[in-house]
Amino acid sequence: MEILGLAIVVVLILVATIFVVRFLVLKAPTEYRKGFVSSEIASNMLNTLLKTAAKDCSQLTITELLQDCAQAKSITCDNGQDSCKFVESTANHIFDQTFDKWNMKYEFLAYTDVNAPLIKLGKPCKADKRSKIFPIPISAATMYTKLDICG
Amino acid sequence: MKRAQIQIGETIAVLFVFFILIVIGFIFYVKVIKSNIELETEELSQLRSVGISQKIMFLPEVQCSEDNIVIDNCIDILKLNSAQSIMKENEIYYYDLLEFSDVSISEIYPDGAKWNLYSRKIENFRSKFVTNVPISLYDPATRKHGFGILTIETLFK
Repeated sequence: MEILGLAIVVVLILVATIFVVRFLVLKAPTEYRKGFVSSEIASNMLNTLLKTAAKDCSQLTITELLQDCAQAKSITCDNGQDSCKFVESTANHIFDQTFDKWNMKYEFLAYTDVNAPLIKLGKPCKADKRSKIFPIPISAATMYTKLDICG
Repeated sequence: MKRAQIQIGETIAVLFVFFILIVIGFIFYVKVIKSNIELETEELSQLRSVGISQKIMFLPEVQCSEDNIVIDNCIDILKLNSAQSIMKENEIYYYDLLEFSDVSISEIYPDGAKWNLYSRKIENFRSKFVTNVPISLYDPATRKHGFGILTIETLFK
């Protein structure tokens, strides 16, 4: 009879230990930084990219080049590329030096119709993502630039 | 052996097991508390790192402004050149703000210029966080923006 009591006490202690280990000892620290960093990167990256002046394209901003890309495609840059190609290669260079270096997966789109994007860089996110969209006014409609950061 | 002696022996054995269980419980409790403190320290370091990053991003010494209106996420290159020497001369003032950290800015486009704004490092740090923030680099002479990365490395003892 005493043995049964002892066995119950041991089982209760074991259950309590497993419970404490599961919820207190193995608790992962809350990732406060991760949220801050990815939200800062997503919004700042697009914001900064759109303001950047193109060195080989009459110092026009990426926004102005995107506007031309969505409309007449009348601008030809010093290196012979049209506005769409120039924005694509500049964005690709910037993302190479940032996202690829930091091992971050991303998808960048510039579009008026989401099903037929004018510029598409990176790969679509499979799971969680932090998304940022910037509308750019053009004469006929509105074009959008969208950046998804995966994870 | 008399019956009373057997009962005393039993009582001593039970007490012995009881105290062993209390000691094991106490050791376990101390370990749990220690791990919780480490967890909280880690979270606190993360929050301090975020705080330092935000202080740097909004540092008036380097922030762009036009007609006294501050422009977010933008660093003025001319201010940056002056701030470098000011921050070196007033290291103790900036230590109160930025603690043990290393702040540098690298231009990604159009050129590849680099600036080191603040550097105060320690060898025996417990945790280290590196925060990269894309930032606009404004040249007031040409009124054009470049693309840069603000790298903030924070170290905690």
